[in-house]
Amino acid sequence: MTAIQTERRAAASNHDAWLTRRRWARAGWLYVFMLVMSFFFLGPFLMGLLSSMKDNPNEYPPKVIIPQLTAQYVSRAYNLGIQGGNSGWNGGLTPGREVNFDVSVRSPADAPKDAPVVSLFPYQPVSLVAIARQAQAKDYAQLKTVQVSQTGDTRVYRTTVTYPSLTAQTGEVIRAKLATPDADVRATLPSGETVKVTLDTPAAQAKQYELSESQRVELVKAGENYYLRGPLFERTPMQVDVQRGQSIVNSTLPPSDKQNFDRSFAFRNITPGILGYTFNNYRRAFNETMDPKSGRSLFFSWVLNSFLYAFLRVAAAVIFCSLAGYALARFDFPGKNLIFLGAVLFVQMVPSQVNLVSNYVLLKDLGLLNIWGLWFNGLVAAGGVFLMKQFFEGMPKELEESASIDGAGPFTTFWKVMLPQAGPALIALAITQFQGAWNDFFWPLVLLRQNTDFTLTVGLSSFSQLYGGQGDYGLILAGAILSAIPVIIIFIIFQRYFVDTGSDSAVKG
Amino acid sequence: MTVTNPTAKRPKAARSKQSQTTTTAMLFLAPFLITTLIFFFYAFGRAIYYSFTDFNLFNTPKLIGIEPYRDVLADPSFRRALANSLIFAIVTTTLQTIFSLLMAVALNNKIRGIAFFRSAWYMPSITSSVVITLIFLWLFQRRGIANYLITQWQAYQPIVLTLLGVLIVVQIAQVLWERSRKLPAGWLDPALAAVSALIAIIVVLILNTTGLVSVREVAPYDYQYFADKWISIGGVRVLSIPLLVIIIQNTFTTVPTLMLFFLAGLQSIPGSLYEAADIDGATPFQKLMNVTVPMLRPVTFYVVTVGLIGTMQMFDQVAVIGSAAPQDTLITLAFYVYTNTFKNGAAPVNMASAAAIVLALIILSMVFVQRKFFVAPEAN
Repeated sequence: MTAIQTERRAAASNHDAWLTRRRWARAGWLYVFMLVMSFFFLGPFLMGLLSSMKDNPNEYPPKVIIPQLTAQYVSRAYNLGIQGGNSGWNGGLTPGREVNFDVSVRSPADAPKDAPVVSLFPYQPVSLVAIARQAQAKDYAQLKTVQVSQTGDTRVYRTTVTYPSLTAQTGEVIRAKLATPDADVRATLPSGETVKVTLDTPAAQAKQYELSESQRVELVKAGENYYLRGPLFERTPMQVDVQRGQSIVNSTLPPSDKQNFDRSFAFRNITPGILGYTFNNYRRAFNETMDPKSGRSLFFSWVLNSFLYAFLRVAAAVIFCSLAGYALARFDFPGKNLIFLGAVLFVQMVPSQVNLVSNYVLLKDLGLLNIWGLWFNGLVAAGGVFLMKQFFEGMPKELEESASIDGAGPFTTFWKVMLPQAGPALIALAITQFQGAWNDFFWPLVLLRQNTDFTLTVGLSSFSQLYGGQGDYGLILAGAILSAIPVIIIFIIFQRYFVDTGSDSAVKG
Repeated sequence: MTVTNPTAKRPKAARSKQSQTTTTAMLFLAPFLITTLIFFFYAFGRAIYYSFTDFNLFNTPKLIGIEPYRDVLADPSFRRALANSLIFAIVTTTLQTIFSLLMAVALNNKIRGIAFFRSAWYMPSITSSVVITLIFLWLFQRRGIANYLITQWQAYQPIVLTLLGVLIVVQIAQVLWERSRKLPAGWLDPALAAVSALIAIIVVLILNTTGLVSVREVAPYDYQYFADKWISIGGVRVLSIPLLVIIIQNTFTTVPTLMLFFLAGLQSIPGSLYEAADIDGATPFQKLMNVTVPMLRPVTFYVVTVGLIGTMQMFDQVAVIGSAAPQDTLITLAFYVYTNTFKNGAAPVNMASAAAIVLALIILSMVFVQRKFFVAPEAN
């Protein structure tokens, strides 16, 4: 008898253990599935983020580990930045500096033993708008290549890039920008003062006609005079070629471009600093979109425009949507249902393309084809009114009743009693409006006609169109990532409002 | 609701209070009503008017009857736009509804770290369509990540297929063995599947080191997604490949938003229903089809409506891709309206307006049909 019982108990506990094991396994599979899906949803952004830092985002096959993110190369970029421009972050090449760059060349026994041919090459930004030709490091710097060591058949050569100062004068060094020249070369100091620039050496005089307006330069202030030390360079592009039979096996920074079976390496910038190395595309998005008229970065203007538009939309929505939503929720008046059906629900169903022509013509006649017209056009969002109506309907009536007993008028009741209670709904409204305005594309594309007026979305899409659809993906991806950052930050801070709002009104509505 | 009737006999004070309320309400509503009147109703009326005139953005409009509608319907590019829009709307709405429901069911599990997964999955829907389209353009280039992944799949096919084969065989063997021990193991038993997966991985590793199964050499897969390529049925061009990429992208971005609606709906389903189903011995699939789906009908109705309205108006993606893909493959009604309004020279704005009205009518009738025939009684 006991034998049977024990057996049964054993079977039961066996069964329990089996169920527990099953439960654990199920949780495990669920986590695997969740992680795979998370990767699927985050994957495109992560790949975009990673590739936005590459020299060539179209690199094939795509690599996940890139030199721009390895500690070794980032620190070398930092050191080279300090050598060239005294700044580990910004890099660049400034007068009076010297930069050392090593290249290892393998020459097998039967191959030539010559030193590599090193040269600097010009770089003109491929940007949205043509900008004045900038001075190039290759016209000012001198190169010297010496062999420093040899292991086996691999020789290490050190190239020294020297950028001598154009003046012999010493004194306080000032950074300035060249101004429109008249008879003399002139420069605008950081203080805003425009001064005459003295070219005291033949070397300086030889270059005076090559320098164009708005070129950034270094001056020496000695006594009352300003002497030209030389232009400042953001980058130092360098190329290394070796003979047939030789190959380049290593260099201080990895090359941006390899050609000719590893016999020709191009370095986009040998004095990058961290910003110029890892975040080069981001820097380009800001620096290479200069508006020639104002000298301001177009990308920067787009960011500001987007923020301005989003701010205006949020402010208008918070005030007007809550007013309208409150009226629809709490007042009884003839035509209320009609207003709700017609102006709130119907409006949301009709596509905005219907109003395209009429609103375009109207705003054009008013001279409002800019951010203000855009704002005016979408002043009170029907969706926002709907959200606030739903919210106010859910609030207790007692609040208003006690306020009216205290003798408050409807506006006071709304402003002093109801609105302060509406915190969560207002936050939800504000973030949905911010997100909507920030991501808005159709109306900005229709209404904004000048590239200085664009919002980020329109500006970004113009990045892709300018290169015939082929696109400079370094710039596009960097711009895309930058423009996604504000909404992502807001999402991380206000996460639960994103997750709550829409779904609530859906189930109620 | 209580409708107060102003004509009813009531004391004077009450009537003046009523009119005072009306005035206050109108004051509160004024900014909303005024802008809606100007930028919506006036614009709407003017669009209807333009659609019966010969307006071209520069002349004084003159009424010419329904000719613009006839022109639009005769325009091959409008017909393509109409076909593209309808196919896009139907396919995308179906896909996004199914996927968002399945994802919501997955996210409705009570496990640790669910907040993280929810945020991660929600990411695609907070970023702008322009950003995502640009990233997708890059992913789907000729030498892009999409083609790279397909190449990798082709290269690793022998390994992956061996892994799957071994996994299935081991799983069947294990389940049969467990059943012979009188344990009620299902074919997809997770614990056994974990063991099967482990065994399959070890077997494949051994086969790989011995060189029996290895990575294949394949030429890089080189497919052009944004070219004039079509899926045709019976010689009729139905769906273009570029549009298919946009369908994938749009599903990717809208699924998270719609998922939230389903998630909220799921949380309001009483747990007792599932307990009852458990007692009846329902499988997870049966529970999904017989409990979850019917209980979610109101939400599904909402999701499908929102999906149809959104997809019929698809514009951003086409405008961003622009000339990178042949116009016919991507043109939608919304984009047709836009291009005809801003055509160089004299723009056929009357045709653009007529097309816009057609678009609006289609959307409104879709919503109407939905409401009429598919709405569940609980939704009212």
